[in-house]
Amino acid sequence: MSKPSDLVQGTLDMLLLKILALEPMNGFAVSERLKQVSRDVLQMSDGSLYPALHKLEQEGWITAEWKVSEKGRRAKYYSLTRMGRRQLERETDNWGRLSGAISRVVKLKEA
Amino acid sequence: MAIRLQRRFKESSFWLRLLLHRREAEQALNDEIQFHLDAATEQNLAKGMTQEAARRAARIELGGVEQVKEKIRAARTGASLETFVQDLRFGLRMLRKSPGFTIVAVLILALGIGANTAIFSIINGLMLRNLPVRDPGRLVELLHQYPGEPAFNSFSWDAYQILRDGSHAFSDLIVGPTMNFGPVRVDTLQPHTVFVGSVGGNFFQALGVRAAKGRLIGPEDVRIGYHAPVAVVSWSFWKSRFDLDPGIIGKKIVVGDDAPLTIIGVTQRGFYGLSEQAKQDVWWPVSLGPSQEWGFPLLGRLKPGISIEQARAEMAVLFQRVVNLPDAGPFVKKMKFRIEPAGHGVSTPLRAMLSTPLVVLMGVVGLLLVLACTNLAGLLLARAASRQHEMAVRACLGASRARLVRQTLTESLLLSMMGSVLGIFLAYFGTRGLIRIFASGRQIIGAPVHFDALSKPDWHVLLFTGAIAIMTALLFGAVPAIRACRPTSIQPQEPARAGESRSQRLFGKSLVVSQVALSLMLLTSAALFVGYLSQLRNLDLGFRRDHLLLITLDTAHSDYTAPQYGRLSEQLVARIDAIPGVTSATLSDMSPMQGPGAGASAFEPAHRDSMHNILINNVGPSYFETYGTPLLSGRYFPAEVQDKPLVAILNQAAARDCFGSENPIGKHLTLSHITLTKGEITYEVVGVVADAKYNELQQPAPPTIYRDLVQAGSIGSQLAVRTRIAPDAVAGVVRGIESSVLKTVPIVRITTMNEQIDAAIVPERLVAALSGWFGALGALLAAVGLYGLLAYTVTRRTHEIGVRMALGATRSEVIRMVLHDALWTVCAGMVLGAPLAFWANSMAASLIHGLPAKSPGAILFGGAVMIVLGMVAAYTPARKAMRVDPMVALRYE
Repeated sequence: MSKPSDLVQGTLDMLLLKILALEPMNGFAVSERLKQVSRDVLQMSDGSLYPALHKLEQEGWITAEWKVSEKGRRAKYYSLTRMGRRQLERETDNWGRLSGAISRVVKLKEA
Repeated sequence: MAIRLQRRFKESSFWLRLLLHRREAEQALNDEIQFHLDAATEQNLAKGMTQEAARRAARIELGGVEQVKEKIRAARTGASLETFVQDLRFGLRMLRKSPGFTIVAVLILALGIGANTAIFSIINGLMLRNLPVRDPGRLVELLHQYPGEPAFNSFSWDAYQILRDGSHAFSDLIVGPTMNFGPVRVDTLQPHTVFVGSVGGNFFQALGVRAAKGRLIGPEDVRIGYHAPVAVVSWSFWKSRFDLDPGIIGKKIVVGDDAPLTIIGVTQRGFYGLSEQAKQDVWWPVSLGPSQEWGFPLLGRLKPGISIEQARAEMAVLFQRVVNLPDAGPFVKKMKFRIEPAGHGVSTPLRAMLSTPLVVLMGVVGLLLVLACTNLAGLLLARAASRQHEMAVRACLGASRARLVRQTLTESLLLSMMGSVLGIFLAYFGTRGLIRIFASGRQIIGAPVHFDALSKPDWHVLLFTGAIAIMTALLFGAVPAIRACRPTSIQPQEPARAGESRSQRLFGKSLVVSQVALSLMLLTSAALFVGYLSQLRNLDLGFRRDHLLLITLDTAHSDYTAPQYGRLSEQLVARIDAIPGVTSATLSDMSPMQGPGAGASAFEPAHRDSMHNILINNVGPSYFETYGTPLLSGRYFPAEVQDKPLVAILNQAAARDCFGSENPIGKHLTLSHITLTKGEITYEVVGVVADAKYNELQQPAPPTIYRDLVQAGSIGSQLAVRTRIAPDAVAGVVRGIESSVLKTVPIVRITTMNEQIDAAIVPERLVAALSGWFGALGALLAAVGLYGLLAYTVTRRTHEIGVRMALGATRSEVIRMVLHDALWTVCAGMVLGAPLAFWANSMAASLIHGLPAKSPGAILFGGAVMIVLGMVAAYTPARKAMRVDPMVALRYE
């Protein structure tokens, strides 16, 4: 089980925003989707997922509402706000620059 | 961003509500976690685990339900009560750390908020508070106004009938209450002077007033030619005079010298009639019936769906019918009629006198508050610069921008709350001071005016103060909040000195420029109002205002016959004349600047069709000498006038009105409709005197006819004494002589002419005094703001100044640099402020009659004061700049 520090701090927010940008989801579904799309590489404990979601809600980037799930149970569904969308764009940009820079450094050949 | 911040801010301040929400939030948290566990368990079951193992695996993956919940709670603290308390504590600590700043800021705010609260609470008490009656918004009063006089609510019997039968806009046309006051006696208790009034049969019913005890006056008590000898008293009268005795019904009550009335009921608690300044305690049925007098006050209740404009349109037609009545006199023909809302109380002389000045003053104190906010914003800007390091450290330690902004706003709010509390305290005393000025105004002598109602704070005032407190906090708190919002400019490793951009410096400067502009506006208006007041005080009034003692006698209850009184008053005048220091003394019915008086229509016997309105004053011998009104032609009244032909003296205006350019001496003049009665009397004109003002200083003297006191059959209740020494010095002697000569005639008032004139210009005095104080305060604030800016600039430029001096700049050049800076700022403020001041000036002129619309002198005065203050503010910084030692300054780097 990976520790949350395995995830670069700050990129977690971006990942969650990205996942929620596709469709509104409940917490369990977010956790599943994260494991699924990263082929279990980016596993984060569910214990860290919920505080992260609540923090995003607190920032006003996502909102939550209670809806009935496919299985007929009441669940809290999160969706992206307009501010969240803007934040996602910003972080995606940052990430692009950072990852580009890192991969360039890594690919340096020894002279 | 701002909106969300505000929302959060609100949430955190309504902590009580938040506490209640907490349980709900906790429940939601449980539900969410439970859902997750159930879903995970289900999934594990699908993988083929047993029920027990599936649940266990789900729990392990989550990592401890309580720990997770605690983490979530920690993530959510953004809007919690704890954070707010934390912010509050931190804010208090920061304010305590710099007590000088805190004290200055709170004082500035307290003055600004206090001044606004004081003026608003009087406006609220005088004009905004609803009457305690049913649906006050639909209540209107009907008024008639004679040109140049205040409006009155009273109508003739004929007018009442026309309005009652012709109107469709009103669901009720209510008669009453008349506004009288007098001593009221119950049983053997001491008589007590209160406001009383007579009312129509539908008065209480139409206003929705219920009886606390017994019954109220109804239609059965009022029939034409008959009114029941009954009375209704107020709850507070019942409480104060009867101690809520249930046996009050059936008791007798005597108002003045009238026949006793039987008390039939007590009104509901809190009802006081229709004016808070003249709370009535006793009502009795009006005597309806044909009468020449204009004695019926009228109120209307608008029918649902009818606007006051519709009612005005309908009434205009009916009023015209009143004017066209065959026996309508010349006075009625000149009357204007109005309908005004009465839901906030019926119009009173006090309200008519003060409403415009109060609106002007509200504008002045509003400006003062904006100036105070700008000043504080400047202070906070400087503070924010010095706290930049702290902010940067906090940002690095993980405080979000939102959190920093909230912290600074909490501090601003703390300041403004402290300022408000002190301000409300100041406003309490301020209001009392204002009311003391009101009370020095013209009053009906002996009337128990209720000024206390004006200073009574209610939730309107508290709401107003709270609102301006929050508004000011947002206004001046916006500056540091915006700075806290820009973390990009924050570099913790840099010291505070350098971290300031050009735009921020410019912003600081523009704050001072706007302070100069605002204080120029305040100073200009102060100069305007003070100048206007002194102009009023130096007007030629047609008599000499100094060294004149005025004594008002209560002649209504003396048992003297007219001849007796005549002999005694001659004795009185002769004995006062003999007092050392007294030049002359006289008796008359009116004294100048006393207020509106009796009037009549005047015409030449040969020209009945050209009637002129004229003021009547009946005067004793040496009236004109005593007041110092010069005789222009003809002669004074002869010494013995008893049984001689009737004679009169005119003032210039009356001579011009009635006789044009002809010489009036020896001509005859007929008076009719003397104080609205019928009957005509003809006089021979024996003299013409200069115009003297009787009512308003700002208006030309009214055409006046003087009759001899004895010939007019009058006794004269105004005693005037012209002195060579200070008039107050003889007051005691005069009082002694009066009480020994006229034993049954009490003195109701002793004053001087200057005081009487001051009483006529209370609004002008009030506006001049307050705008003067606030103008000075505003100028002081602006000067302090400028000083702060200059001092800061010099400190910041120490290095530069050092370099300049090292390169050969002389001290005078350095001083000039600082002065130039100061002058530039002041001039920029004046360029900005002058058009605003002009605009404010014309605004005030449109509100206050007689104020000059364009007064360049006032603006020049304001500008000159600002330049002088600017130079004074620059003095210390300039000296500091001059003393910069180049070596020290350069070594600093």
